[in-house]
Amino acid sequence: MSVSVESYITDLQKKAERGELLYIGKSLKRIDDLEKVLGSPIYTNDLIPRNTLYAKLVLSKYPHAWIRSLNVSAAASHPGVHLILTYMDVPGINESAAIVPDRPLFAHEKVRSTGDIIAAVVAEKEIRAMEARELVKVEYDPIKPVFDPIEAMGADAPKIHEGGNVAKHIRVAKGNIEAGFNDADIIVENTYRTQFQDAVSMETETAFAIPRDGRILIMGSMQSPHNTQASVAKVLGWPLENVEVIQAVTGGAFGPKSDETPGDVASIAALGALKTGKPVLMSMSRRESMIAHTKRHPSIIKHRTGVKSDGTLTASKVEIYLNGGAYASLGVLVIVRATFHANGPYEIPNVLNDGYKVYTNDTYAGSFRGFGAPQAIFAAESQMDEIARKLNMDPLDLRLMNMLRPGKRTSTGQLMDDSCGLPECVDAVVKSSDYRKKASEYSNQGGKLRRGIGIALLHHGNALGPEGNDYAYVHLSVDKKGRVHLGTGLTEYGTGAISGLAQIASSVLGVPVEYFVIDRPDTDRHKESGPTVASRVTAIGGNASRNAALKLRDRAIAVASKLLECPLSKVKIVDGYAFSEDNPEKMVSWDEIAREAHDASVDLNVIGYYMAPRCSWDDSTGLGSPYNQYTFGAAIAEVEVDIDTGLFKILNYHVAFDVGRAINPKNVIGQIYGGSVQGIGYGIMEELVHINGQVINPNLKDYYIPTSMDIPDKMTPIIVEKQGAMGIYGAKVIAEPPVVLPAPAIRNAILNATGGSVNDLPVTSEKVYKALKH
Amino acid sequence: MSNILISVKVNGTEREVLVEPEDRLIDVLRDDFGLKSPKEGCGTGDCGLCTVIMDGKPILSCITPAFQARGREIVTLEGLNNDPLMKNIETSFRDHHAAQCGFCTPAMEIMGYDLLKKVKKPSKEEVKVAISGTLCRCTGYYDIIDSIYDVGGTE
Repeated sequence: MSVSVESYITDLQKKAERGELLYIGKSLKRIDDLEKVLGSPIYTNDLIPRNTLYAKLVLSKYPHAWIRSLNVSAAASHPGVHLILTYMDVPGINESAAIVPDRPLFAHEKVRSTGDIIAAVVAEKEIRAMEARELVKVEYDPIKPVFDPIEAMGADAPKIHEGGNVAKHIRVAKGNIEAGFNDADIIVENTYRTQFQDAVSMETETAFAIPRDGRILIMGSMQSPHNTQASVAKVLGWPLENVEVIQAVTGGAFGPKSDETPGDVASIAALGALKTGKPVLMSMSRRESMIAHTKRHPSIIKHRTGVKSDGTLTASKVEIYLNGGAYASLGVLVIVRATFHANGPYEIPNVLNDGYKVYTNDTYAGSFRGFGAPQAIFAAESQMDEIARKLNMDPLDLRLMNMLRPGKRTSTGQLMDDSCGLPECVDAVVKSSDYRKKASEYSNQGGKLRRGIGIALLHHGNALGPEGNDYAYVHLSVDKKGRVHLGTGLTEYGTGAISGLAQIASSVLGVPVEYFVIDRPDTDRHKESGPTVASRVTAIGGNASRNAALKLRDRAIAVASKLLECPLSKVKIVDGYAFSEDNPEKMVSWDEIAREAHDASVDLNVIGYYMAPRCSWDDSTGLGSPYNQYTFGAAIAEVEVDIDTGLFKILNYHVAFDVGRAINPKNVIGQIYGGSVQGIGYGIMEELVHINGQVINPNLKDYYIPTSMDIPDKMTPIIVEKQGAMGIYGAKVIAEPPVVLPAPAIRNAILNATGGSVNDLPVTSEKVYKALKH
Repeated sequence: MSNILISVKVNGTEREVLVEPEDRLIDVLRDDFGLKSPKEGCGTGDCGLCTVIMDGKPILSCITPAFQARGREIVTLEGLNNDPLMKNIETSFRDHHAAQCGFCTPAMEIMGYDLLKKVKKPSKEEVKVAISGTLCRCTGYYDIIDSIYDVGGTE
């Protein structure tokens, strides 16, 4: 045996000792990005057949009105137009709602926002459809609208839906709030406001439908194909199994593609395709998307906090009013997460939070990365700095005194176990930013340019918690060439999480990730796995992937033991080779195992399943342990403010997250970078402006998302690993939390620099200037 | 409406195509020539994802009328996939995990290519400026900047 063969075998044996963790924690390359860097045709609009017709939307002109008449005849006779779809063309149920059945696919009798869809024009060219939609005649009888959520809760407010304007109320109640305020030396009260944010996934919502042998095939851009399937089946009045939905490669999602819009575009494409017998593409323009899809809820958040003069928090009363726009969407769950996290990551003995998701006549809000946490934590973390200021205390010291640690309890009464890595996160950013030194340097500044440093912390309940059954399936299937096909109803839309599932299966199986192929999620082939939301793919799907790989490994070991002529218990599969522990020189390759399995008709198709433990939440007491585990995070931003103008610059941004276990650290960093920049956009630039219910900037000229020139020169992401109880190998979620921290950290840095409090997002230079009290 | 027959060199090949005055270059490239790497992210010239190279300069194909390509030379990412510099850029994007959803990737790579053709070893600031008209919502730009920066000076 040559030296190199010998060292190879030694190496394999060493790898075998690492067992199923062999590739865990390694920044393996993604297995789905080759086609992306080559610009290959993989997205929905790249795949449409040649004879496809195009659909365009007719949206409501009024935020609140009765529809007196609807006349489509001029539009229908426009050249190139095949069809106009309205509520009359819906054979099933005219509803496209996620949870609360409050939103018709096509408006009928009444419109409640300017995002309501009146009709869809189907034509040979997109431009013909766009011309024809101007010819759809709608007469309206306007109704008095309401746009402010608190006003909408009033007894005299216009009724947007039967049953009142509060879509959801939830209460968290711990201890005795009045006693808590009595214990306090001072009480700090503030109101915070946040704005509409648009997700702006670079690819808008889009789907095409092809009629096929009494069934319909839909390909589209979406997070949850099984939800889209259910939406379409309901609209068509068909059984689920007659609707096949395939998720095409999806150009960003961030939440709105898990909400109701993917159902809208798929249903309209399906209706058009069935009526015309041709493929129909319903691809939203940026304008259509920004008006008609769900956005981040604007909020009004009132804080009243009791605190002792030494900084101990005694009571926190928070009221959250989410402006839900005209429909409930997933917003009835967003308010739950917002209310659970409303006091920030602190132990406070007495808490009373009331959260309201309220209907107004703005366009509707719903699911968006962070899911209520960005609003809640902006307010909570701004409030902490306001308290520190009142007490003349360092904001870091106030946080260190009150924050969650192992043994402490959240506002819902949930006990923090050893996996609470918040102290480590704070430590990491304090060191990385040299906080203490800078805080003291910046306490005495003169001149025009003032620097400031600000901190923000978070806890983030993982995965669905009380939002639904938290389960997933992963299918693994080995072909004759040894390729391992990974399929799941969970989807990839940019994060690399599905590549991560392959990495996990690959590690368990002992077969390099290069053997893995990701199948397109397909409702005909893959079991429903719950929605791809709440950053849950790695933590939940990872467990399902491991379970699938364990089953597959057993079957592969049985094949290998025959080929190696050794007992099952002695077989190891490592890095694509199987060998017997007793005789490592004799090896069979994964390719040979696959071929043998194929020839001997051994079934190498498995399905792995995982369901997270049920969480406890009791609406009647307002207490519970709503999540199986939490992600923790800490950020420190440093800014420089020109006090003559309010113009400011983010000098650097340090951010640490306790992710439990980084399955693929490079992908974790990718989420931290991307989420932080989206959070900077939320914090200082972005606002989808509604005036009297009309969106006035539904385009990328007037709605600013960060460009490469808007990012801090230096961003320092730090990974902390305190393994959680639920996620695969202790992993916690990471896709959403990074978007939460920039807004409060930057706001607090500006307060530190200037003494000016900006309590409504986005923190623009104009607001900073006004806050300076010239 | 009268159609116009135009000839245009696309990725090295002379092509002829009938266009209507209202046709956009992006649609002719995608629908008539089957080149799907230019993406429509806004349709108003604001996001940069439809960027292609016309006569050696990056242009926005969603706000360029197709007839303006008459007699010109268009290069899309498909036409550069065998170019050594573009291959290096693509490899670097994969090494840095810079393609997340991937929708902006072709335009980012073209802007990187255009910069590296002009400046052999650009600074990070030059890279930032070069991609400043191309929007990405996934990466926060850092990995994209590093991908392009790292290719600098390797030729």
